[in-house]
Amino acid sequence: MKIEKEGKDGAVVVRIAGRIDTTGSSEVSDAIKEIIESGEKKIVVNFSQVEYISSSGLRVFISALKQLKNTGGSLILCDLKPFVYEVFDLAGFTRIFVICDTVEEALKA
Amino acid sequence: MSSILTGDLWLHLFEMLCVIIVVAYFITRTKAFITVHEGKGSVTDYGVLILIFGALSIYGTMSGFAILGAPVNIRDLGPLVAGITCGPVVGGVAGIIGAVYRLSLGGFTAIPCTIATSISGFAGGAIYLLHKRQMISVRWAVLFAALFECFHLILVLCINSDMDTAVSIVSQVAGPLVFFNALGMGIFAKIAENRIEEVRTRGERDRYKSELDRKRAELKIAKEIQQQFLPKDIPPITGYDLATFSLPAWEIGGDFYDIIPFGNQKHGLIIADVSGKSIPAALFMALSKITVRSTAVWHPGTAETLRDANDIIANESDSGMFVTVFYGILDRMGERMVYTNAGHNPPLVYRRKTDSFEYLRQNGMALGVMTGTGYEQDEVTLHPGDIVVFYTDGVTEAINRNEEQFGLERLTSVVSASRDMTSYQIIRQIEEEMSGFCKDEPQFDDITIMVLKAKGDD
Repeated sequence: MKIEKEGKDGAVVVRIAGRIDTTGSSEVSDAIKEIIESGEKKIVVNFSQVEYISSSGLRVFISALKQLKNTGGSLILCDLKPFVYEVFDLAGFTRIFVICDTVEEALKA
Repeated sequence: MSSILTGDLWLHLFEMLCVIIVVAYFITRTKAFITVHEGKGSVTDYGVLILIFGALSIYGTMSGFAILGAPVNIRDLGPLVAGITCGPVVGGVAGIIGAVYRLSLGGFTAIPCTIATSISGFAGGAIYLLHKRQMISVRWAVLFAALFECFHLILVLCINSDMDTAVSIVSQVAGPLVFFNALGMGIFAKIAENRIEEVRTRGERDRYKSELDRKRAELKIAKEIQQQFLPKDIPPITGYDLATFSLPAWEIGGDFYDIIPFGNQKHGLIIADVSGKSIPAALFMALSKITVRSTAVWHPGTAETLRDANDIIANESDSGMFVTVFYGILDRMGERMVYTNAGHNPPLVYRRKTDSFEYLRQNGMALGVMTGTGYEQDEVTLHPGDIVVFYTDGVTEAINRNEEQFGLERLTSVVSASRDMTSYQIIRQIEEEMSGFCKDEPQFDDITIMVLKAKGDD
């Protein structure tokens, strides 16, 4: 699991590489929590290198989305592989997340 | 120093060290040593230790030997050790015993030696107290013994009747005296330290074990309570054959199923999976199960039921926890099932006539995420011989040693192969196939399966 953060056009782009399973989830959770606590309002998560996500992984993003919405911020997911997209879709979460094809698109959104 | 040590002296020193090792081992193995060290000793414990350490001090005097005519002994060692391991009472009294014996022998250095030995045990005890009733490390104990012997020698220089003789004795014995007492202390302290550490580790282990036993007992009760949340027996449903199976990965889990008889030949079927495992999942499961069951009684449709259940659960949950729920209502009259799938793994529908599968996909979001989300209701018609398999992701995501997942394909092929069996037998087949696939790989997630077979008119 590798997590990189980069500030871009007033947003923080988080690039995750690896499997977001039970262990991966807590790493992602810590990283996103840190960004939210530093006061950032817009987070873009680049999923291009994510092979797998479990239900504990979904929980991390649900929790982040709730927190950001409460403070008037936004969370945008982009570049999801078909399998990862399906996991979000099966749980019905594609209804509440803004999902974009590319990082550029997400930054404009 | 080897030049001044003859063969006899080496033998003598070796004998002395053996005695120290044996005595150290013996003392540290007594119950009294540990209880007194921990400050919990009885009067008898103190008495026993005082006598042993006092005797060691007397042995120290008796085993003394002469190097170039100067007396070298380890009289102070017993009281010093007693002090740093068992405190000022044991150390002090043992020192006085050794000192009285030394005084009775008389001689040129009788007074300073008596004073030094009297003080030795109290000095060790003071260190024990200063170190919060803990033994100091072996290295510091050795340094302490060496410094104390230096102090002993200074006393000889200060209190004597003839300075020239005193200087001559001190200059000859200083090296060996400091060296052998420090060496003896090193051996003794190391043995005592090992023993104290051993007792401490065992205490920690015992405490940990009793805590573990308590937790295990609590989990067992929690498991029994959770078992009572699941339907005790499956009500017969005219025209259908229904069987269920549930196996949590830990004692308790987040999966559940429910069968609600509504009357008028209608039955509600629920299967659900809480995100997460073990205790947090079990708590959330209890909340979800009761909420869905209560709202189901109020609404005739599945969508309104889950919409209300979602509003209630989402209001109670800030942690990002959610629960995927499939809720269907079987209506015997039309051989149909209306359903709402709130983000749950799509149940499989095996069509007997075409030997093919359909999926009851989500038409609403998992419950507990946010209030005010919409749910739809769809409908599926079931014909005789059709089989519906409801399951949680513990089935398809079960892994084998190579981390391959059991997967949907294996599941569908078992169901298709056992199409002529009863629901109960189909579940057995799935179980068998899974255990053959996973072998010894431990179960990672809760597994729940519910199989419904449409029998037609019988």
